[in-house]
Amino acid sequence: MATAADSQDGEEATPSPNSSENGTFECNICLDTARDAVVSMCGHLFCWPCLHQWLETRPTRQVCPVCKAGISKEKVVPLYGRGSTNQQDPRDKVPPRPAGQRSEPENNTNFPGFGFGGDGGLHFSFGIGAFPFTFFASTLNLNDGRPQPPSAGTPQYAEEQFLSKVFLWVAVLFIFWLLIA
Amino acid sequence: MANIAIQRIKREFKEVVKSEEVAKCNIRVEPKNDNFTELRGEIQGPPETPYEGGMYILDIKIPETYPFNPPKVQFVTKIWHPNISSVTGAICLDILKDQWAAAMTLRTVLLSLQALLAAAEPDDPQDAVVAKQYKENLEMFNTTARHWANVYAGATKREVECDSKIQQLKNMGFEEHKARVALSTYNWNVERAMEHILT
Repeated sequence: MATAADSQDGEEATPSPNSSENGTFECNICLDTARDAVVSMCGHLFCWPCLHQWLETRPTRQVCPVCKAGISKEKVVPLYGRGSTNQQDPRDKVPPRPAGQRSEPENNTNFPGFGFGGDGGLHFSFGIGAFPFTFFASTLNLNDGRPQPPSAGTPQYAEEQFLSKVFLWVAVLFIFWLLIA
Repeated sequence: MANIAIQRIKREFKEVVKSEEVAKCNIRVEPKNDNFTELRGEIQGPPETPYEGGMYILDIKIPETYPFNPPKVQFVTKIWHPNISSVTGAICLDILKDQWAAAMTLRTVLLSLQALLAAAEPDDPQDAVVAKQYKENLEMFNTTARHWANVYAGATKREVECDSKIQQLKNMGFEEHKARVALSTYNWNVERAMEHILT
């Protein structure tokens, strides 16, 4: 059972092999073995209740208690050991540990014509260019599920005809501007 | 909540006791009471400073909210240093105020204080009189600091001239510490120090 720690420093009376093993997984705040462990982006381990209280104590200055790197609740990663899910935390005032950020693996299925080199770095959008056409499309819709248009001759009909023409001219001007510019 | 404070202090206490600095007699901590809320720290004056050879006693109070808030530390031993009050022993050090971090321990605090003795910050002073002397007359500052270390912290290097001037004022019936403060403040000018005490 002799460990490396024992052999390198003979003078100090044997720290039990267990404690020296756990040393790496001690919370940096309570110095106990970390429970509900979370790790910061800078790599420092804490109990979630301890780190939560530290962040609550200094809402304006959220820094890592070890290296003073900027940290936040959203940017800590929980550590899930095997088979330790049913450990109940007595300090139940503390909000639950933030969940891990799990993203689906990316699958690069590009349009065959637009994926340059297959890396997906270039995409085209037709949003602006198609605007007038979508406009025409919607004006040309036959009454599918919409209220009946007002019958010819009413003032509302004239108004709508006028509006329609205004928008038509706006569209024509827009296309013209696109061609010129 | 006090529970976590006491548990942590006990752990830290073991850490300090085992650390190599204690082995070299550089720092020491001992509890004043059973529940570890008040402790007595000791640091040695760092070498190649006016405080060399002196032993400085510190008063450490652990707040209920430790380690989320810093311990309250004061010098008990009188010291002549720009960032430590020569009257109260209050310390101006950022990590004992807003730069505190929960992962710091008694050991790191004591080592930081030792580093502060070695590297004063006269631009962020606690004792304006000392800081002024430090900036305007470093030689005089070193002499004064050595003298205070000798008298109060048990450093071996005596400043004979200082001792004789204080004796001079004592012979006139002035109280010793009062005379020392006045002389230190007025760059060991006996007449101005006397004037100051009398007004």
